[in-house]
Amino acid sequence: MSKEEAFTQIIKDHQGLIFKISALYTEQKQDQNDLYQEIVYQLWKSFDSFRAESKISTWMYRVALNTAISQLKKRKRRPNAVPMDKVVVPTTETVDVEFEERVKTLYVHIQKLNILDRGLILLLLEGKKYEDIAEITGLSITNVGTRISRIKQKLKSEMTKK
Amino acid sequence: MELQELQTLWSEMSQELEQQKKLTNELIMKMTQERYSNKFQKISMYETIGAVICFISALFILLKFTVLDTWYLQLCGAFTVLFLILLPILTLGSLNRIKRINLAENSFKDTIVQFTKAKKQLLLLQRIGIYLSFLLMFTILPVASKIGKGKDLFLETNIWYVYLPVMAIFLFFFARWGYGCYKNITSSAENILGELE
Repeated sequence: MSKEEAFTQIIKDHQGLIFKISALYTEQKQDQNDLYQEIVYQLWKSFDSFRAESKISTWMYRVALNTAISQLKKRKRRPNAVPMDKVVVPTTETVDVEFEERVKTLYVHIQKLNILDRGLILLLLEGKKYEDIAEITGLSITNVGTRISRIKQKLKSEMTKK
Repeated sequence: MELQELQTLWSEMSQELEQQKKLTNELIMKMTQERYSNKFQKISMYETIGAVICFISALFILLKFTVLDTWYLQLCGAFTVLFLILLPILTLGSLNRIKRINLAENSFKDTIVQFTKAKKQLLLLQRIGIYLSFLLMFTILPVASKIGKGKDLFLETNIWYVYLPVMAIFLFFFARWGYGCYKNITSSAENILGELE
């Protein structure tokens, strides 16, 4: 398998991961597309330096989250302004409006967190263990645990406000 | 929505995304090569074009510097030239610091720390730039008038009666707006740095 083939296969397998990160760190559709492309570009650039010591997904999360931070623009405080077209669009013909609405609310809650906490909660929701999260973020496992319980409390109180 | 619900919803959404595999090999490779219509790349392009314009203007003033025949015109000329050369160099350097962050090797925490520091430096520079540009408005007018028309504006007092008050009002509102923006962004930057360092 050539380098290009291997790379395209990896991107295809993990395109949901790139989508979710670019959606969490942008507010507008155009910015989301730009960030998506930038992540793919950065992954390609560092593909040669990827060492099989870590899991491919760990490397991808790290590069994608780092890229999202490096491309952060000054955000306007509009936490409820998540456009509908930036969340999941069902592939079936019948659009589940309720599901869309819930996903939208989910994004709104997470986007209210700071840039570090957003990354941590994303990794937790993706089912990553504390050790993996620590490896990706560079925080200690204890620190990850403390922060995550704080984020959970923050989210809980935010969600019960509604 | 409870936390457990949040996790279930995230998994449902991930499954939906799994079904939406839209990327083709061609599209992926295009993204790696062309970086088409990427807004982020345009920022430093605008800064570079701006810097080139500043350097050309500075060079023009330097070539005509002997026309500035009084000490105050020479002082205005020197300030203008320094401003047009130094500020773009410092801004481009600051942008470069952001670009140099190693996205492949850094941990998420290191990237946040480096990016936040570089962003703070850039914002400080932009803020200084805003204030200095008002001084530039004051110095560039007599320099341009002397080089372009041979007139010493300091001897023609009438123009200053209009120019100075207008400039002062503009400076007041612009500086207040600039300070507000800077304060908000840097305080959130300070918070995140405080937590991480």
